[in-house]
Amino acid sequence: MRELNVEALARVEGDGGITVTLEGKKVKSVTLDVHEGPRLIEQLVKGMTPADDLTVIPRICAICTLSHRYAAIRGLEKALGVVPPEKAQLTRDLMMLGENVESNSLHTFMLALPDFLGYPSAIAMLADYGEDVKRALRLKKFGNHVMAVTSGRIVHGENPIIGGFGKYPTKKALDEIKAKSKELIPDAIRDVELFASLKYPTYSEAKMVFMSVNAPNKLYGFAGDTILISNGKEASAEDYKTLTNERVVTHSFAKRSLYQDKTFTVGANARMINMAKRLDGQAADMFEKYYDETWLANPLKNNLAQAIEMLWSLEHIPEACRKVASLDDPPIAKPTKENGSGTGAVEAPRGTLYHHYEIKNGLIELADIITPTAQNLDDIEKHMKLCAERMLAEDKKDEEVRLGLEMVARAYDPCISCATHLVTLKRI
Amino acid sequence: MTTQLPKVGIYGFTGCAGDQLMILNCEDQLVDLLGAVDMRSFVMAKSDNPEGPLDIAFIEGSISTEEQVNRIKEIRERSKVLIAIGTCACHGGPQAMKLEEGGYEDRFKAVYGDAKITISKPFEAQPVDAFVKVDMYIPGCPIDKGEFLGAVTKLVAGRHPYQYKFPVCMECRWKENPCILYAGRFCGGPLTKAGCGAVCPSHNLPCVGCWGPTDDLNISSEYALLKEKGYKPEEILTKIKKFGGANVAKLVKDIEKKGAKK
Repeated sequence: MRELNVEALARVEGDGGITVTLEGKKVKSVTLDVHEGPRLIEQLVKGMTPADDLTVIPRICAICTLSHRYAAIRGLEKALGVVPPEKAQLTRDLMMLGENVESNSLHTFMLALPDFLGYPSAIAMLADYGEDVKRALRLKKFGNHVMAVTSGRIVHGENPIIGGFGKYPTKKALDEIKAKSKELIPDAIRDVELFASLKYPTYSEAKMVFMSVNAPNKLYGFAGDTILISNGKEASAEDYKTLTNERVVTHSFAKRSLYQDKTFTVGANARMINMAKRLDGQAADMFEKYYDETWLANPLKNNLAQAIEMLWSLEHIPEACRKVASLDDPPIAKPTKENGSGTGAVEAPRGTLYHHYEIKNGLIELADIITPTAQNLDDIEKHMKLCAERMLAEDKKDEEVRLGLEMVARAYDPCISCATHLVTLKRI
Repeated sequence: MTTQLPKVGIYGFTGCAGDQLMILNCEDQLVDLLGAVDMRSFVMAKSDNPEGPLDIAFIEGSISTEEQVNRIKEIRERSKVLIAIGTCACHGGPQAMKLEEGGYEDRFKAVYGDAKITISKPFEAQPVDAFVKVDMYIPGCPIDKGEFLGAVTKLVAGRHPYQYKFPVCMECRWKENPCILYAGRFCGGPLTKAGCGAVCPSHNLPCVGCWGPTDDLNISSEYALLKEKGYKPEEILTKIKKFGGANVAKLVKDIEKKGAKK
């Protein structure tokens, strides 16, 4: 056994592809190849101060920038013995709600929906589905606004730091968010209904294993110290290595994960399935109405899960704002030690994200980051292969198979879906 | 109207896709923006991307594989104007912070072990202008909506966009922010290009330098300000080259060579 340090370059929004190799009608292999150039971020932060690390690592990904920042903060605070003040914790919860609305609206509408409706993009949908696209843009803008108010900027905000925030949001800004989120709830409900009305192809179906964090206090949420697995097990986030088992494959610059030698799924569907009983409000009603056992086998249902989750997030923003506003601004909590290690686990919109740090004499000795997309890649390939086999058995045209595979890959919300814009069918 | 809309392409290379995301984040202007140009290629946003001659190519990200070198050269050849957007394209970004120190092979091995990745040959990330001519730079990590939209508006109207020729300190003054440096904390503001609206100092946090080095003519006296506050060249470098990469290192070395004011 050899141990690997894995760089979190699994972001695939830039440059990736799917290659299906066929022998006659038999599908030999289906691979999701990540061509995106490696950045080796984990190596670059070695020797940095935790504060400097915190400015660099969110740049791993613009879409889940706050998830990266928050996962790092959680890991670093554990390592440095920092206990964040209550207001910091509440403000972090709020920023995660904002990111969830932003990212889920971007993915469901701009990236996933055009496939279901037969358009090349949301832009092309404008003429026929103008109202739907504009509604999604309203939600996305609001999610961005929550991120900006809490983190300082729409993307790569530097305001959340170890021990608290540079500046806490003002009461006025929080009141505005509170009012706006209530106003947008009908929009989010319409989105859920739209996604519930779509036809989800069944070609890729196979029993799935789901993994997500276990949010504290038996509530639904986006951060936690233990991990729930849909087989009923629970593990400490510190055991992330055993849970994810990262390895290198030669056709990709992104690494892969298996749990007990099997593929597993992280994302909104995993969260909803693992924490179903903790949902409340209209989101719980919607889940009850639209959940069925196909969720346990069909990756495409993640799109519907994201729509319901976006509603849940919107419904919880007013209370989060009220709580943040009710407390006075605390001073920034300081490190109590210079040596230690810690793992932070959060739910990025596209799944569980781990940041593990080892600190020596106040400097980063080791950083290990495992992204949700890296965990999902094997699962994506597994379901794509089934999809290709079943579609080809029905003599579907290459063009249809391509779209079928793209839809499977996109459903996982890989960061970001254009990773799969180049599907090549190789017939040998 | 017989005037043809300018043909535009938006391309992503090695980075976080944050600059392309910022374009998608122009929710209120997106529909108008897409109406003012002929958007030929924008892979992050759409599936139909016919490639061909372009009036303007916007390039995000640094160049870090051989495949990308070929791709950027090919885009340059068919583009009248090529604009680097974001700090990665302009300066290499975080992944280029150790460009001048070497050690890339060791770092690569630490991540991938001895596995032979067959997909493309990778190398230490470099800014776009290390490989092709860049006509204009819009830095930022990520770019600022206003700066980007302002530039596009001017370009569509055949004008030259405005460029910030001063550091973040100027924006701090406009906002009447208390000076972080004078409060005894390191701040990258004096050496960092303006354009963000001094967002970090406005949150009582030091500028992290994410816009890359300023091209203000008064740079050596700004550098001197940092030294005057007791920061050593190595310290200054470590702090701000996280984003400006090799270009910041070069800037600091040039100033040191000329002899910064004490």
